[in-house]
Amino acid sequence: MPRLLPPQTGLTTLPPDTAPAPQDVGAPQTFFPGKWRSWVPSLAALSALSLFGSPLNGASTATPALETGIRPIQFEEFDLPNGLHVILHENHAAPVISTYVLYHVGSKNERSDRTGFAHFFEHLMFEGSENIPRGSIDKLISAAGGNLNASTSFDQTDYYFNLPSNQLALALWIESERMLHAKIDETGVETQRQVVKEEKRRSVDNQPYGTLFENLAAMVFKGTPYEWVPIGSFQYIDQASIEEFRAFYKTFYVPNNATLAIAGDFDPARARKLVEDYFGSIPRGAEVIRPTVSIPPQTAPRELEVLKDNTPLPATLHAWHAPAETHPDAYPLEMLGNILSTGRSSRLYRRLVEKEQAALDVEAFPFLLEQAGMLGVSATGQSGVTLQKLDQLIEEEVEKLKAEGVTEEEFQKVRNQKEAEFAGAFGSMNTRARNLARYHVFYKDTNLINTELQRYFAVKREDLQRVAREYFKPDGRNVLRFPVPAKPSGQPAPASNP
Amino acid sequence: MKQLLFILPLAMGISSSPLAAAVDRTRKPQPDPAPAASFPDYHVRRLSNGLTVFVIEDDRKPTLNLRLLVKSGSAADGEKTGLASFTAGLLNRGTQKRDAAAFAKETDFLGMRLEAMASADSISVSAGALTRYTAPMLELFAEAVLTPVFPGEQFAKEQKKALSTLEAERQEPDRLAGKLSARVLYGAHPYGAVSTPESVRAISREDLVRFHSTHFRPNNATLAVVGDVKCDQILPQLEAALGKWEKAEVPVPQPPAPHPLSGVKVHLLDRPGSVQSNIVVAKAGPARNSGPIPELNVLNATLGGGFSGRLFQNLREKNGWTYGAYSSFDPRKLLGAFQAGAETRNEVTHLAITEILKEMDRLQKEPIPEAELELQRQYNVGNYLLSLESPGRTAQRVQDMDLYGLPDDFYKTYARRMESVTAAHAQELAARFLAPENVAVIVVGEARQIRAALEKIGPVTVYDADLKPEAP
Repeated sequence: MPRLLPPQTGLTTLPPDTAPAPQDVGAPQTFFPGKWRSWVPSLAALSALSLFGSPLNGASTATPALETGIRPIQFEEFDLPNGLHVILHENHAAPVISTYVLYHVGSKNERSDRTGFAHFFEHLMFEGSENIPRGSIDKLISAAGGNLNASTSFDQTDYYFNLPSNQLALALWIESERMLHAKIDETGVETQRQVVKEEKRRSVDNQPYGTLFENLAAMVFKGTPYEWVPIGSFQYIDQASIEEFRAFYKTFYVPNNATLAIAGDFDPARARKLVEDYFGSIPRGAEVIRPTVSIPPQTAPRELEVLKDNTPLPATLHAWHAPAETHPDAYPLEMLGNILSTGRSSRLYRRLVEKEQAALDVEAFPFLLEQAGMLGVSATGQSGVTLQKLDQLIEEEVEKLKAEGVTEEEFQKVRNQKEAEFAGAFGSMNTRARNLARYHVFYKDTNLINTELQRYFAVKREDLQRVAREYFKPDGRNVLRFPVPAKPSGQPAPASNP
Repeated sequence: MKQLLFILPLAMGISSSPLAAAVDRTRKPQPDPAPAASFPDYHVRRLSNGLTVFVIEDDRKPTLNLRLLVKSGSAADGEKTGLASFTAGLLNRGTQKRDAAAFAKETDFLGMRLEAMASADSISVSAGALTRYTAPMLELFAEAVLTPVFPGEQFAKEQKKALSTLEAERQEPDRLAGKLSARVLYGAHPYGAVSTPESVRAISREDLVRFHSTHFRPNNATLAVVGDVKCDQILPQLEAALGKWEKAEVPVPQPPAPHPLSGVKVHLLDRPGSVQSNIVVAKAGPARNSGPIPELNVLNATLGGGFSGRLFQNLREKNGWTYGAYSSFDPRKLLGAFQAGAETRNEVTHLAITEILKEMDRLQKEPIPEAELELQRQYNVGNYLLSLESPGRTAQRVQDMDLYGLPDDFYKTYARRMESVTAAHAQELAARFLAPENVAVIVVGEARQIRAALEKIGPVTVYDADLKPEAP
């Protein structure tokens, strides 16, 4: 995928493209498994993250288009008078439709004493509305032969339905109902408090390296609203009152802060009419005030050791500040990520896994958000390898990259990899709706779904060394280490937080 | 397949007026006529050496994907647990023509994917690339499949990594629950084998060479080709790349039957420090080609197939004990299983298990109310229709029909069968497959906190992270 969503927390844990469809016995969700038999999930996977960056704006747009054979995704878009942005992608390949609503609100819009609020609210959006009885949204979608999910990340909250194409009106009715007058009562709030706590125990407290991203964000994004993660803290969800939830809804769940994308087998004129009918009467809300994130330059390296009884293998993560996703340097940074860790011929794999046999896996990941970013390199050590060894190897490879740049062959390779990624992307209607909305909201250019590859092609070989030197700053390094506890595991661990 | 969905109007006699000026938002809109969908077309061909090839033409993307399904998996490991996985993992680590580094360099340079993995009944080898790289992709793919050399030095590296991986798994609750479930459910049957440091050390590169030469045969595999190609154009290229692959007789394993489960027994893996319990309620289930699979889909969905399933509604939406609660049948080639599970906080572990058993029981005791059953039928039928969007998924189903020996019309009648499940039939199936007896309850969690309450459910055996039972 050219772009995966930032770490997010959802209604359920299924990955964004994997709708909770009913069991189709014996069949895995995907045709092609993700990796060669991987013995241990990567550090990123262990921490339940999608540690991939995001591209954007900036690279020269004057570059002539290369012939890639990738078929463009046609769409039309318009605004309703109340500010709702609508994107329609008509495609009759299969009798399915996907609707996708993106609200431009995520954990960075939260108060520091109300972390976890945006995600918690996402759960409440399944409670019901004035016209939809409590707890019946899923039943309506299931009975119509569809599936749904939702997720929350630092910058956004999204909701989707996948349905047979005769059910477009149903999808629009439900989404407009919960945009117009969602109903939030105490019963639902209390149950979802418990559910969300279990969600956090499952993904964070009960997993090895489960706090990794929490620790990382706190260190790298210190002093900004990115310093806490979408799952937030138990205590704040308990403290929040029903009035606060209603105020949050009124502030952020307004048409002028939302984008609706519809992809699939429908007639655009009719879809437009339905959208106008269902959403047109929703009143515009007040202008949303957005936080500005500014990270003061880091002047000295930082380190943090996270000692947990359930850490089975040593792991280390080095992170540096990087620009926001819309910065022109996003593209060369993404390409550096490939050169460092995509495939067995990548630099870090060759060195740490193959040559030194020090690591089980390595990953270089630009993690770029709407207003800030980081560039990370992580490694899980093999049993008995020291953290010092892993740190030293990472440092050597980073310094080598800065000193020597990349070879012409590596440069061509990464261009080929990016082309293959884009050629294979955006297959399902769900992915198309999702990405059309994302490009509109964060890049203000919906058509980037068709043109973004050209921005990678516009990057020059020298740019890769330039960004390596610019962002891999020795004073700006943040190192997070998970040592293996001295005593053998099997001893009672200290109680994990709530 | 004709009508996949037939939907009863909610309010009889009210015809929808689609473009009325204003919508009535107090009621659910009526659907349009249901779309028809049929199982997509595909071509079946055979290479000169007998390899069956399925081609699905799809011009939506300028890519070509290959998936070879070798019809032997870890169930064919024999005494060497993990052998099929190691063999799959090392296919791209050196061939007669190039070493591991050269192979990685070639594939990475093309932006090509090449992946292999072993499951219980098969090994899949998948590759994908831009169509303009079809020729080099086929060459590399054929090399990995036909002429891997399993270099000793590469094997040693993987063996070492596997030992570290096992170390990591000792702390991963999902993995521990999966391994203990396999062992408890299948016992001495190959489906019950799990890797240990000893089993990893017992494998040699010669074992991989032997496994490959025994099982990687054109008469023991099928190839699916999906992408922007025409069947007639790709076939000569496939013949050139794979036609010289030689046939040979492949032995069919005759594994012992597992010891049947009896009573309700609790298997508790002690993971000190756990703040949640991973629960799996397991039972023997049907094999893939003998069970009423489409009908069981509807039954299972009612119990634990999604957000509207009873487990999710009960354990999560009513009680707030868990983030999710689901169930599934896992019908394999030789045997199958049923599993229901959830992750709950320590204090409610036994309550959650009791509710899971109760929900299983309720399905055999009471017929499913018609409205609920209709919801679950439509959920299954509609989502099957949605899944036809993916040509890769279609290819996989076509290969599965061959692997498991399913009738040719299996997917053509799939929706109709799911749509026809009656309450009486579902109840009968529940009595056969979901009765809460002869059940194993597997729990990974903090024994100190949960053991006493688990005794109320059934006799408890405690295991350590090596899956060794404690002396009673």
